[in-house]
Amino acid sequence: MDSLQILLGILSPGVMLVIFAGVLIGIIVGAIPGLNGAIGISLLLPITFTLEPQIGLLLLGGIYMGGMYGGSITAILLNVPGDVVAAPAAMEGYPLTKQGRSKEALYYSIFSSMFGGVIGVLILIFFTPPLARFALQFGPAEMFFIALSGLVVIGALGGNIYKSLFAVFFGLFISTIGVDAITASQRFTLGNINLRSGISVVPVVLGLFCLAEMFLNIGKKANEVVTYKEQNITRMTVIKEILRHKMLVFKGSMIGTFVGLLPGVGTTLAVFLSYGEAKRVSKNPELFENGNVEGIIAAESANNATVGSTMVPLLALGVPGSPTTAIIAGALIIHGIILGPSLFVQRPDVAYTFIFGMMMTVVAMTVIGAFGIKYFAYILKIKMEYIVPTVLVFTLFGAYSLRNNVFDILIALVLGVVGAIFKKTGVPLAPIIIGVVLGGLIETNLVRSLTIANARQVSLLQYMLTNPLAIALLAMVCVIFYVVIKMRMKMKSM
Amino acid sequence: MKKKLVLLIALTLTLSLFAMGCNDNGGEQGAFPNGNIQIIVPYSAGGGGDTVARILADALGDELDVQINVINREGAGGELGIAEIAASDADGYTLGVFGYPDNFVLEHTRDTDFTFDDLEYLAAFDDMPMGIFAGPGSEFETIEDIIAYGEANPGGITIGESGALGLLHVLAFSDHLGIETSPVNFEGGGELMNAILGAHVDLASTSSMSHDPIMDGGGHPIGFAAAERMDMFPDVPTFKELGFDLEMGVSRVLVVPAGVPDEVKTVLTEALDAIGNDPELKERFENAALPYRYLDYDRVNEVLQRSNDTLLPVIESNQQRFE
Repeated sequence: MDSLQILLGILSPGVMLVIFAGVLIGIIVGAIPGLNGAIGISLLLPITFTLEPQIGLLLLGGIYMGGMYGGSITAILLNVPGDVVAAPAAMEGYPLTKQGRSKEALYYSIFSSMFGGVIGVLILIFFTPPLARFALQFGPAEMFFIALSGLVVIGALGGNIYKSLFAVFFGLFISTIGVDAITASQRFTLGNINLRSGISVVPVVLGLFCLAEMFLNIGKKANEVVTYKEQNITRMTVIKEILRHKMLVFKGSMIGTFVGLLPGVGTTLAVFLSYGEAKRVSKNPELFENGNVEGIIAAESANNATVGSTMVPLLALGVPGSPTTAIIAGALIIHGIILGPSLFVQRPDVAYTFIFGMMMTVVAMTVIGAFGIKYFAYILKIKMEYIVPTVLVFTLFGAYSLRNNVFDILIALVLGVVGAIFKKTGVPLAPIIIGVVLGGLIETNLVRSLTIANARQVSLLQYMLTNPLAIALLAMVCVIFYVVIKMRMKMKSM
Repeated sequence: MKKKLVLLIALTLTLSLFAMGCNDNGGEQGAFPNGNIQIIVPYSAGGGGDTVARILADALGDELDVQINVINREGAGGELGIAEIAASDADGYTLGVFGYPDNFVLEHTRDTDFTFDDLEYLAAFDDMPMGIFAGPGSEFETIEDIIAYGEANPGGITIGESGALGLLHVLAFSDHLGIETSPVNFEGGGELMNAILGAHVDLASTSSMSHDPIMDGGGHPIGFAAAERMDMFPDVPTFKELGFDLEMGVSRVLVVPAGVPDEVKTVLTEALDAIGNDPELKERFENAALPYRYLDYDRVNEVLQRSNDTLLPVIESNQQRFE
């Protein structure tokens, strides 16, 4: 099978239909709070068993791509991020909506997602073998420093320093709940079996962001509520404006690509790293969290860039680094396709159709997003008294569907109340999310490092700084730390 | 206005709670089965256990002419889902599929809500031995290399593992070799694969399912904890051949909560025998790199009992590692 045949295969109406369907489903599950691409993919997994493997894969790939974008729609319009990765889109996009610039924010989101998606897929197409080898360099020590860099970035996010510290420790505390993966001792589980596997980030985000926002909306008078304003802004203006920030797009996509390569790290870190970096280089950092499109560009290009790069270790090594790619691996396994270097030799039709087809998922996402925005914005015309219950129901449903567990609903509700209190008292919410995501990563990799250092009879520091890569990453953490401190000092003096 | 809003919210919340409580399972009268059946899988979608459940849901659904839905109820290393299977109605409309001996290891290392006998084991479908693998460029070519290094450097060999059985296998392996090793825990098969292919750990303890990706990445197997050589990998020696009587593996079992009426059990076991002895099911398993081995009701109970007897001493002698 040569490449022309593969390309013609992708462009055939049947395949395009599957891609568009996948992306549309992805955008919808992404936009619904609590549901995300991973859940959409696991729901549709059985369907792929009856499809040709490459077609089934493109359906799942489309959901993955669409899901990364969809969360920003509800984030921008309602301050309810449909997915964890859309949290920065809510922080920057919702203020814009309040200023009557929702259409503009939505355009920024879709076109930044497009650029990020394209760059991620290009990297998948051209750099899979070397990047897969590069990803293998990341052992426990390197992962520890990566996670640490995410923690340091919180300093750049803004808000009162003490309140931020409190928030990040609160997040880290949540991450300690559950059975400790290394020693299997129980921490803060209160004897409850449901707490043993810990608290996942999804119900935390649902509670803190979605439920809290809805709770605070209850009882608002009609004139306090955001209403839709028609805005005259063309798509071309926004694309040109994004291209003016090409460094932001490039950096966001690179951060997304890089973090996406690493197993078990997750897109959330990429999004916040990129967002923090955008704020650092911005000429107007004080505009952040008041509706700065730079934040949207950075975050949205980063999350869609991860889609391509998370596939790199999966296809090249058979290493699924995230829940989403694990399900995609399952879809391949059931067709008897072995992942790894031999995939490209034994089933080039599947491998190449999939990676080239991923480019079409970006096209489909852009078409649906760019032309759908008019209709998405109608959400704002709906009265708040209908939105609040709808979002509440979807959020609770989303919390449940994560593990089909009613207990997660309870967690989301409790954190919803906590989130509402935090919002009223000015405690920033983003550091909590970062703490929850990174706490486990930091701890498990530190313990792994300790075990290995012990086995090799060297000190922890000696082990952690054996590799040049680890040293470079530690240097990066120090630089970010220095920059954040300087930024804070400057902000204080202003 | 405010009142209306509150009322509306209360109403929708109540309705959504009702919706969650509902399920369309279980015709109450008439011959079994006359309604949808659900299979609870205590793992997330996409893994080996999930794949088995989905193949079985399809084949068994055709055989019984009902819709069978797979529900993933992951968490706490399978503990949440298995507890849920054990606590569900014993009417035959809720089945469970998981990898034995996850339930047995969990039961004896934690304070679980279920015991081995809270479930009834209707059939087993595969037999996937655990194995020890070396990464690319490893200095450990054979088991003798491992013993020699292990004796000279107690605790000096790092072995990556994931899941309840992964650690148990490392401990049993080390016991048999008479050396001390350092197990390093990873959160899942993907992270473990990254660690062994990137040479961050010396060896990996994982199932035979990882054979192909590890070989592709330049690593090699040391041996499998199997009774005899596997059809799929005839070149890999068993530990028995190497002089260590160690057998340990995962077997995906189909279970019901204890107490299902005999006539329902008969319908299920007959249907399972029909699909289990069908070459088509074997082919579907082997396509998915799952080593097929069908055990019917009598044989599965005999095999599991024997396996329990060999596992229990290993767990008990290493109890402190699990606490």
